[in-house]
Amino acid sequence: MTAPEAELRFDQGTLILTGWHPKAIDHVFPAGWWNWDHRISAWRTFACRYSDVTTLIEQRSVGLTSMKPHWQTVVWSKVSLPFLRSEQTDAIEAWQKSKRGVVVMPTGTGKTEVALRIIADQSTSTLVVAPIRDLMYQWHHRIQKSLDYDAGILGDGIHNVRALTVTTYESACIHMPNLGDRFQLLVFDECHHLPGGMRQDSARMSIAPFRLGLTATPERSDGNHRLYGELIGETVYRLSVQDVAGKTLAPYEVVRIPIHLSPEEQTRYEFLGKQLREFIYDKRQNTPTYDWQTLCSEANHDLHARQALIWFRARQAIEDRASEKLRILEDLFRLHVGSPILIFAGSNAMAREVSLRFLVPCLLSHCGKKERQDYLNGLRDGTYPALVANQVLDEGVDIPAVKVAIVIGGKSSSRQAQQRLGRILRKQGEEPAVLYEVVCRDTNEEMTSRKRRRNDAYTRTRHRRL
Amino acid sequence: MLTREHGIAVYDGAVAHPDRLTRRQHGHYIDLAEKMLDIYRRGCGRVRRELHRDIHSLLEKIPDCPPRRADAFCKLLDEQSEYIKDKKGTAAQLRRQVYRAAASHHPLVQSKFELHDSLEPEVKLKISADIGESWDSIVRRFFIDIPDFQPLQFFAGYKSGNELLARYNVAQTQVALYDALAMTVWAKDDFKTILRYAKLAGLMHSIAQCDDGSYRFDLNGPASLLSHTTRYGIAMAKFIPGLLSCSQWRFEAKIRPKQWRRDLLLSLDSSAGLTSPVVAADEFDSDVESDFFTAWGPDPRDGWQLHRESRVLHQDQKVFIPDFTMTHVDGRHWLLEIIGFWTPEYLKQKQVALTRFQEYPILLAVDKTFQDHFVDYAPNIIAYKKRLKASDVLEFLRRTAS
Repeated sequence: MTAPEAELRFDQGTLILTGWHPKAIDHVFPAGWWNWDHRISAWRTFACRYSDVTTLIEQRSVGLTSMKPHWQTVVWSKVSLPFLRSEQTDAIEAWQKSKRGVVVMPTGTGKTEVALRIIADQSTSTLVVAPIRDLMYQWHHRIQKSLDYDAGILGDGIHNVRALTVTTYESACIHMPNLGDRFQLLVFDECHHLPGGMRQDSARMSIAPFRLGLTATPERSDGNHRLYGELIGETVYRLSVQDVAGKTLAPYEVVRIPIHLSPEEQTRYEFLGKQLREFIYDKRQNTPTYDWQTLCSEANHDLHARQALIWFRARQAIEDRASEKLRILEDLFRLHVGSPILIFAGSNAMAREVSLRFLVPCLLSHCGKKERQDYLNGLRDGTYPALVANQVLDEGVDIPAVKVAIVIGGKSSSRQAQQRLGRILRKQGEEPAVLYEVVCRDTNEEMTSRKRRRNDAYTRTRHRRL
Repeated sequence: MLTREHGIAVYDGAVAHPDRLTRRQHGHYIDLAEKMLDIYRRGCGRVRRELHRDIHSLLEKIPDCPPRRADAFCKLLDEQSEYIKDKKGTAAQLRRQVYRAAASHHPLVQSKFELHDSLEPEVKLKISADIGESWDSIVRRFFIDIPDFQPLQFFAGYKSGNELLARYNVAQTQVALYDALAMTVWAKDDFKTILRYAKLAGLMHSIAQCDDGSYRFDLNGPASLLSHTTRYGIAMAKFIPGLLSCSQWRFEAKIRPKQWRRDLLLSLDSSAGLTSPVVAADEFDSDVESDFFTAWGPDPRDGWQLHRESRVLHQDQKVFIPDFTMTHVDGRHWLLEIIGFWTPEYLKQKQVALTRFQEYPILLAVDKTFQDHFVDYAPNIIAYKKRLKASDVLEFLRRTAS
């Protein structure tokens, strides 16, 4: 068998190098960069090393047939971007130095405009990766408006790849083995989603030398934010909420409204709590370490544990769907008549209940593209007075006119709380923003609320009764 | 296939045991499975959420039935069901109509404080009158495009409760493999089927022959070499039904469940009793092969023993499994490939494979009508008409020996 020709090529999210002697590999590349793949008799490494690999090959003047990346120059027929503020130009300049890295800016300070300017300046094949379908469509809309370009869409059942394409993290991860050599610039919106498990592949399996990450909340509880350097590049610019509150961001206040369960709900809540406490007490007589995990595990084979789990979920449902929450919503709607409002629910069931009670649109994952656009545009232009959602609106959705948000349920995650607050912080005029947090008193919700407010943006929260 | 959320497995030391319902331990599930099928068979017109509730009600009093198992059964039953989908988007249209009609009355209140306040019941009554449909009916249709609220139209079902349970067992093994890093299959037979299903699933292979003549196939994906990735776990799960349709195999998979920080072993073999939902491949590709094998018989002829598809030739990711291997008592061996099927692509593919593996002793038996395509392979070629005679092959073997 003749020795294969020296060649570098892209293969399913990796790079393959053929025809190289191990000594040549050791001579040209740092140790450990390439792995010998006996399955194909060639060297293999992750596609994200493309830039470094080609630079070293060029430096050493090594002759080989190198792959031709499939990216291309893109000419924009029209670029209409707003005048950028100083912090935005600072961010762009910081990124331009290495054309890699993460830009950390609070929600509402114009991260998308920063990215659009970079995309416009680079004029090359670009993939924009967003966390959810709604944001993917929002990017599509912004690109159309700013660059007069009908971007390709990859996701939501659509497979239309163009020189500038928008996608979701899930789709990018699935399709990168086939598309990893198509883009020179990757833009990861809300890039704190990238280091989660297999999503990393959407960065590792691409040869793109230019990478931009955008986020307001870079830190991850699993510590994987340390991977940004490898996947996107180090943080090149950081701006905090305090730097811009009242200037670039709308001034805001967070108002916490404690409510009580109705007498019937309270009775049922207490009954369920008592049952649950007694069950746990009995268990701890024999097993002092009996905890939540043990309960969940026992529920697999023990009818009593299973019943305890049912009690727990019933309690949660009472908190989540407390009737008083609907009454408070009515009051807040009265208070803010004429001002568009976002309502964040803790479950799809509660979001539907609010929607049916007040006949305001409910944005859930089942909504199609047209319906979503109708609701979001309708809230912007005043057709609809309010919009209720569970998690779909948590991140990135851009509705500058909204200055009032009401949280009636959710997780204890501080990031979710920050992102939800971020929805109302885009400055439009001098109108202050207000975020209401409706919490059932003397229930687990109080603890959840306390946990989620553990960040700087929630200091000076006011407590108010309506 | 089930999703990760449906997966149940017991981790015993370093070994993973996917959930498995057995006749001995779970005999009572046969009756439960029949009852579950009955709920779906009688369930046409009922919405998915109600059917799921009934399945959960049936199973929640069974001590050894965790809620996840009930969820998994719902998913498997749904896989065989057709629900009425709101393809024309009537629910979305209705919602839009209602929201727009209600917008000018916002907020809908329950008690009037001011003159222009809009009472919730009055507004709903008005909208209902404008649409010409009762409010209850509007509410019923309002979210009908959400899977939970879709009515069952048709249930193809499973033949019996036993079939549902068999499907469940396979599905749980598949879920466990979603977290697989790599998989090794040892097989004594059906190499072609195994490799075909591995290729269909998008897996890469390494092949090695064991001392006893069986083969070892290491299966994973391109990036498995670079990191401990579970990216190809779903491909391995998809490969399982194909493997189950084969005989005399065993496999070991290295899995890394998210909640565990170390690798676990999942193993299974063809005697485990899992039933494949895939029909086993035909034993022979053609009648010519079948007739030749029958004519030769199980005993050696002139000292030559005939084995079917027992040798795997491989070079990188290219594989060629000749139809027969002929081994002589003195240790000599020949591979026999019968070409009796004709399309230009097929012939081209065969020519490429034969060129790639030309260093092996391959005897070609070619249908007379297209023997011209293989003149380059003379003298190791026999042309046959309709049927390949064992005597012609034996004559060739005698000739080469001399």
